[in-house]
Amino acid sequence: MEFTVNKADLVRELGLSQGVVEKKTTIPILSNVLLEAGDNGLTLTATDLELGIRSTCAARVAKKGAGTIPAKRLLDYVRLLPDAEVTIKFMENQWANLTCGRSKTRIAGMSRESYPELPPTPEKIVDLPAGLLASMITRTIFAISNEESRFTLNGAQLILKPDSITMVATDGHRLALVEEKTSLEGISGAYKALLPKKAMTEILKLAGDAGADAKIAFSGDDNHLFFQFGDRLLLSRKLSGNFPDYERVLPKEHAHSVNLAKDELKATIERVAQFSDDRSRAIRLQVSPGEVKIYSSLSETGESEESIPVEYAGPLVEIGFNASYMIEFLRALPTGEAKFLFKDGQSAGEMQPGEVSEQLTYRYVVMPMRI
Amino acid sequence: MATIFHVDMDAFFVSVEELYEPSLKGKAVVVGGKAHERGVVSAASYEARKFGVHSAMPLRQAAKLCPHAIFISGQRERYAEASRAVEQVLREFSPLVEMASIDEAYLDMTGTERLHGPPLRAAHRLHAAVQQQTQLNCSIGIAASRLVAKIASDQAKRHGILHVLPGQEATFLGPLDIHRIPGVGEVTGQHLNGMGIRRIRDLAALDEGLLRSRFGRLGLALAGKARGEDAGGWFDTAIGEDGGPKSISHEHTYTEDTADQTLLESTLAKLSEMVARRLRDHALHARTVQLKLRYQDFSTITRAHTLDQPTQLDAEIMRESRALFRANWKAGRKIRLLGVQVSSLTESGGQMNLLSGGQDEKWQRALSAVDKLRGRFGDSTVSLAAGLQGEFRQRVHEGKERIRPKS
Repeated sequence: MEFTVNKADLVRELGLSQGVVEKKTTIPILSNVLLEAGDNGLTLTATDLELGIRSTCAARVAKKGAGTIPAKRLLDYVRLLPDAEVTIKFMENQWANLTCGRSKTRIAGMSRESYPELPPTPEKIVDLPAGLLASMITRTIFAISNEESRFTLNGAQLILKPDSITMVATDGHRLALVEEKTSLEGISGAYKALLPKKAMTEILKLAGDAGADAKIAFSGDDNHLFFQFGDRLLLSRKLSGNFPDYERVLPKEHAHSVNLAKDELKATIERVAQFSDDRSRAIRLQVSPGEVKIYSSLSETGESEESIPVEYAGPLVEIGFNASYMIEFLRALPTGEAKFLFKDGQSAGEMQPGEVSEQLTYRYVVMPMRI
Repeated sequence: MATIFHVDMDAFFVSVEELYEPSLKGKAVVVGGKAHERGVVSAASYEARKFGVHSAMPLRQAAKLCPHAIFISGQRERYAEASRAVEQVLREFSPLVEMASIDEAYLDMTGTERLHGPPLRAAHRLHAAVQQQTQLNCSIGIAASRLVAKIASDQAKRHGILHVLPGQEATFLGPLDIHRIPGVGEVTGQHLNGMGIRRIRDLAALDEGLLRSRFGRLGLALAGKARGEDAGGWFDTAIGEDGGPKSISHEHTYTEDTADQTLLESTLAKLSEMVARRLRDHALHARTVQLKLRYQDFSTITRAHTLDQPTQLDAEIMRESRALFRANWKAGRKIRLLGVQVSSLTESGGQMNLLSGGQDEKWQRALSAVDKLRGRFGDSTVSLAAGLQGEFRQRVHEGKERIRPKS
């Protein structure tokens, strides 16, 4: 195999593989990127068996063929080359010769035969708007559990209906739900899948590259989900197991609510949280007529208190929360008003965007801390 | 000037067993297991000690040294109960009591003279009270520091009282072997012997700088200890002012190495349960769960996982330890020892759960009820079903196991 590509093109496409290639070298070949030169130019494939990515870039192919090279080493090297054409030629012994201007390099590769095959892409189910899907991921991804032992919580529940997309994520202590109205042609009933967090991170990157108006051709087989962005394909193994029955834990109603300016609330919590316990990150919110007081105290280090005037005439309620949970939501919320709904110190609190929208439902339910 | 008592029970496990089985009295008794079993001696009666049997010695070796000894497995619950009874007596004498292990305690008796009289008289009264209320004998060391009090109680053995008057520490410690210093084990001892240091007075005469360059911080602590000061590690904290545990762990060594996954996971369940109970005893929550795994060839691995939220629930600790086990055990390889440790301890376990529908709160209440039952009727009254197969005799060692776990 021998081909010539533009250095910038190669760097860009190799960059995509970095989030996917196996970091722990349990199976050495998974650290490699598969390079295939053919009629369509150069095709690059990376996979860790959970996630796979395939993309193409323009190349002058002198001799068709395929081979694999360590992805990180290749990228680290090519990135340092001058902006020029790079020629890669695979030898019989699986070594690759790289030539760029006066630079000549040999990199040890591995045979293409040992590289795992990606499953074939099934028929398209629906076109998803890339910008919309990305914004839904941003609004939920932080609520995903990092506990590997709770594998059904290591991703988000995606629900496609003829007139809406819903994404829900929870770690057992808080839950983020976002539902966007949009008409999805080709969906009847409800299509549900558990989308792993790692795949969501990659979708965010690919959607950013593709632009807000791009479409993702979405499909799935029994075990995998496929997201085709133009000539880039991301595929992910589905998480198995049942996502918890989240509708059961969504509060039906709240006794009280206050509206706050999102930026002010976020800045306040960030300041006060400096004096919360490093591990528990506990802060207290005290809502009383006319004000919300936010405070924390760490007996040995210090304490902090701020108050924000609000319109509220209900009873005094004090609730403990993990400051990180609040901040993560407020980061994902666009500037404007945030609505805080609550009952008492023992019941789930909820945050929402201040403005009600027909188009978008965004709910963030947080369990309090015992104080 | 402080007045510290160190109360050390005499042959505690054996004495407790004698209360239940008076025929054991005056005989060579070894607690820890049957003579042919693998495992170590937890305690030996004074008669058995005459033959060279001591705690932490392999059972089989003890059987060789003292073939006529009566070997008994011992019952931890009996000792725990007796220990609580002793603690109760001690608390009548001072509010500042620290149980340093199941069979020894420090009492800060400073300022109790008007109540209990001068130290020696108070010690005699305490001695008698323990005997009367628990039918168990103890030895008491009295000194101005914990360290000297502890060494004194050792010298007072058995059933004795020794008061090291303030100012007399050097005279008392000087001629003693350096191994008498708590914290000087075999390795440090050999090292010191290699430097020609055999008695505490040799150590006290040494230059602190030299000790420090040889042993680092441990050396400085040694220098302090040789002068009779409370120095280094837990000797630094005041009695009763418990700094709290930094970690809690339980381990189990199999009588026969095993690769039976059901049995292994069952043991993990049992160990997790024991660890969780200790967490609740201390009103603590843990964020880090660590698994210790020792294979037949003694190669040992530890793997830890830190949770998003701290817990004190049996089921959560079990879930984590089992996940670590499944991810790290080379299936089929025989295992000699399993251990579960929790750390990153916090007082607040505050975060409430969204998905459990109040289940966690229910578990919390259920488990504290279970703890009460276990306290009254024994540890095996209630267990996780998964742990039933993993039921084993808990091994504890006299004077080895700190109620306050080592940090």
